Amino acid sequence: MALLEVKDLEISYTVGTGSLKAVDGVSFSLNRGESLGIVGESGCGKTTIAKGLMQLLPKNGSISGGSIILDGRELVGLGKEAVRRMRLKDIAMISQSAMNALNPVYTIGDQLIEGIQAHTSMSRQEAYRRAVEVFEMVGLEEKRLKSYPHQMSGGMKQRAVIAMALTLSPPLIIADEPTTALDVVVQDRILHRILKIQKEINSSMIFITHDISVVSEICDYIMVMYGGKVMEMSKTDSFFRKPYHPYSLGLQNAFPIITEEMDELISIPGTPPNLLTPPAGCRFAERCPFAELLCEQKTPEYAEPEPGHLMMCHFPERVEEFRDRSSHTASWDLVRERLIKRMEVSQS
Amino acid sequence: MKKNSAGMHLTDSKRKPFVIGYIFRRLLIMVIMILLVSTMIFLLFRTMPGDPTASMVDPSIPQEARQALLERYGLHESLWTQYKIFMGDLLRFDFGTSYFYNRPVSRVIGDRLPATLILMLTAMLFAYIIGVFGGAWMAWKRGTRLESAGVAFSLVFRSAPTFWVGLMVIMLFAVRLGWFPAQGMRSTGYEGTTFGEIFLSLDFLRHLVLPALTAGLYFLATPTLIMRNSMLEVMSEDYIEMAHAKGLPERRVLYRHAARNALLPVVTAGALFVGAAIGGQVLIEVVFSWPGLGREIVQAVTRSDYPLAQGSFIILSTVVMVMNLIADVLYAFLDPRITY
Repeated sequence: MALLEVKDLEISYTVGTGSLKAVDGVSFSLNRGESLGIVGESGCGKTTIAKGLMQLLPKNGSISGGSIILDGRELVGLGKEAVRRMRLKDIAMISQSAMNALNPVYTIGDQLIEGIQAHTSMSRQEAYRRAVEVFEMVGLEEKRLKSYPHQMSGGMKQRAVIAMALTLSPPLIIADEPTTALDVVVQDRILHRILKIQKEINSSMIFITHDISVVSEICDYIMVMYGGKVMEMSKTDSFFRKPYHPYSLGLQNAFPIITEEMDELISIPGTPPNLLTPPAGCRFAERCPFAELLCEQKTPEYAEPEPGHLMMCHFPERVEEFRDRSSHTASWDLVRERLIKRMEVSQS
Repeated sequence: MKKNSAGMHLTDSKRKPFVIGYIFRRLLIMVIMILLVSTMIFLLFRTMPGDPTASMVDPSIPQEARQALLERYGLHESLWTQYKIFMGDLLRFDFGTSYFYNRPVSRVIGDRLPATLILMLTAMLFAYIIGVFGGAWMAWKRGTRLESAGVAFSLVFRSAPTFWVGLMVIMLFAVRLGWFPAQGMRSTGYEGTTFGEIFLSLDFLRHLVLPALTAGLYFLATPTLIMRNSMLEVMSEDYIEMAHAKGLPERRVLYRHAARNALLPVVTAGALFVGAAIGGQVLIEVVFSWPGLGREIVQAVTRSDYPLAQGSFIILSTVVMVMNLIADVLYAFLDPRITY
């Protein structure tokens, strides 16, 4: 049985008078020891999924549908105390901004020990020993437990935050863009350390990033999100060998592949849809170079062009044609012109 | 910063030596400051209109007698000579003799200062304890009616004139309800000689309630509103979300993580506030006939009682400086990022 089973998850935010579905019908499952990478542009719902799993949504956000089953236990609708106990012990989060994730007035050691003691009956000495252990795992010296956050470098703080997530060897770790604040060299080192530890303690991991190349390196599965919906989901190698969805094709264009020669990077014109007034059809239709009338009117169903490879598009069979056309700048220029024309019409 | 990055411990034990060195340096600076302040106060009183002899004796006395008086107090000397004598005495903690009471100024101040300090510290303690917890709680209840009520409450007592609030408090609690005495520091007939007898008796505490309440209500807005704002700011910090993500109980996140950080600006504001608090104290002492230094100063100035007024001002400046020092030291213990 899968460790984590997310079914038709819906998360809404109330904004002013309306409400928007930041996450709309997301389903996936994850086995013990496997890792899933969630990619997409800012505002596509990646972080909202993470917060939803941790039940750390802001006051105006709530899980409005679906279920999250971890180790056979339903997490949606759990009471406050049960949620509190679940955090860190069952699902630990490596936060987006490690720079500010540590409280400046307490030592790192105190903050680790505090977390351990909130969930176990360990004495301070035992908790301290555990903190030393996880510090070793992330490659920090024991004496750093006595440091305050301001006395450590960004990389060290990030490792301390990772250590925090590991203290109770949780079955599931959510890493929400854990390396965005770091320089590339440190980033790489930390990514590999996370990966190594994840294998060591055999926990599952959800890795949230906007950097698709990171996912190709470290995740078993990939999930591409757009406008709160999953556009494509498959095993990582299958995805990078053969992406199906036009949006995925566009994303791949936007990142350089060192082994292939490319004249220039092609970006996807336009911006993600406003989810307060979501489009009637496919969420990506407006920016899709291959969109037809049908796309604007009807939300596509999931198709499974290969076993275990899901995608949400009306035309899975035309993928060869899409792949070919999407590598040309001209296809995307057409989208840009279409968007500009539309804007002019709506203004006049 | 650089000094103790190597020697940081889970406890603060290693930081204390630095703080002691810092306190020592600050005390030295304070002495210089007091000498400067004393000079300013000395000059201030000599430039004031009016003649001290006028308040001591009948204005119609003969010129010779008047001259004799001036000579007796050394007021016929040049300003420079007077200044030298004044500063020389000051270094020996001799503030001179009060013209009005004919007693050493240090004795008069010694009698009055404890009453003022006790009243002020009680009021500040009251305001800070309620303000810090109330402010934190108001931030937690952001957007509710309770929060608006809290803000309004603290602002009303900050804006209302203290003497008026004092009178209202007297009317309600002393006259109507009769719960507490309206005036003075002790009941008539109560005689205490030692410090303990005077200030640790139930009678004194009963007299303390109303003036301390009035002063406390006036002080309340500063810590409450600063705490509330600073809490709101801190609560959107990432480390607060992290504390939640660690599975800490809500109360612990609120008080141990959020409030602890939000407290820092409140302490800073508190140090600056002491000066203003002493100013407000004068009115309260007058309204409640509290035999404190604030009331004494006003009287000393109107009586042209140079030595007493000078001495009181110097002592009050010292109190403000000491309070600031305490706040700074407290800050070092609250915020590990600050080292001296």
